Amino acid sequence: MNNKVVKIGYGKVNRVEIGHKLPLAFFGGPCAIESKDHAFFMADAIGKVCERINVPWVYKSCYDKDCRSAPDSFHGTGIDEGLQILADVRNEFGIPVVSDFSDASWAKATGEVCDLVQVPAYLCRQTSILRAAAETKRPIHLKKGQFMSPWNMKNSVRKLEAHGCDQIILADRGTFLGYSALVNDMTCFPIMQKTGYPVCFDATHSIQLPTSMGNISGGQREFIPHLVRAAAGCGINALFMEVHDNPKTALSDANTVLDLKYLENILSQAKIVHETRLELLDKFGEDNVHPE
Amino acid sequence: MSTQNKMTVKDVMLGIKNFPVVDKNSILKETLEKMDFFGYGIACITNNNHELLGIITDGDIRRKLLSVQKPLPAFFIDDAINHAIKNPTVTSSSMSLANAIDLMEQKQVWDLPVVDKGKLIGMLHLHPAVKELLI
Repeated sequence: MNNKVVKIGYGKVNRVEIGHKLPLAFFGGPCAIESKDHAFFMADAIGKVCERINVPWVYKSCYDKDCRSAPDSFHGTGIDEGLQILADVRNEFGIPVVSDFSDASWAKATGEVCDLVQVPAYLCRQTSILRAAAETKRPIHLKKGQFMSPWNMKNSVRKLEAHGCDQIILADRGTFLGYSALVNDMTCFPIMQKTGYPVCFDATHSIQLPTSMGNISGGQREFIPHLVRAAAGCGINALFMEVHDNPKTALSDANTVLDLKYLENILSQAKIVHETRLELLDKFGEDNVHPE
Repeated sequence: MSTQNKMTVKDVMLGIKNFPVVDKNSILKETLEKMDFFGYGIACITNNNHELLGIITDGDIRRKLLSVQKPLPAFFIDDAINHAIKNPTVTSSSMSLANAIDLMEQKQVWDLPVVDKGKLIGMLHLHPAVKELLI
């Protein structure tokens, strides 16, 4: 297997490299862009945590939440205002940013601003979306759909590759287990890593209970630390968590975003487990138990 | 028999477009489809320079099916090269047909990829080869 390194960042922002035996990277921020002031506050607060514990990171926030359960749920700032805020975050803090896009016509503008372009889980096998993502020429954060097997993600990878993309990070955000529950199959990480691309664990969406509250989704945030430690031990290359300073007032995913006050604790644990795993790799070599 | 012994592999081999050849990025499903299309129990895997990277045969697949523990869809989407024999027995186009058939007998194989100057240029299949020698 040829382990690929994904390089995130252009222009005057920090570069983040993600791949085999590299430091664990973090993608984090509020689910939705709420305002410029709030985005700046969150970028500053998360940046300080990452600086203190020395974790490379990418600011995440989205301008259009197109998979909300209810028609009157907050949909986002819209593409123009949202991308301007993300551009401002880049310029002010010198950090790379990531946002998703839900319509192929939004991809070009998203790629012009964002250092990393995200494909939403529900759209992870849509050919038009994947083609548009690849054509941005930015690295792609491709989330595994809750309905997809980990090996099936290779089909989506091949669609991206067919359109010239060779910078891909594959993420798990849980798999449907019945109607209102998700489960994390930790074997999805080594299976998706067989594509050669690095993998990411989306912890805050993994504890989601889809539409468990009728017209909105609930979540069991108390399990975030357990799942993060398990995923880090399993060999992820990046960790994704949506973070908010006041989850109760969050305009999107209020029941799943991690309270900012817990970020340093969880991220520190993830980093330690990751580094311990790298030590185990040095000591015992690559996993090679009962190879096929 | 003396006339027939002068025949070489080149005289009988299948041309490159007449047997299953797949790209190094092909998945197992695509490889099996190509084997089925041509009706041969072997596929050759090559890179962009037509160098032979490996072969897959019906027998390899049969043994894999008896040993693989993962779901069939996961097996189908594996890269074919990961299930290939990386250093297969090959022949050259200039080898005498009789010697090539001897080689097939020694190795108990029905097909030999034909490699000249490091590049795959054809395949020797047992049936037409024997038929030529029996004429």
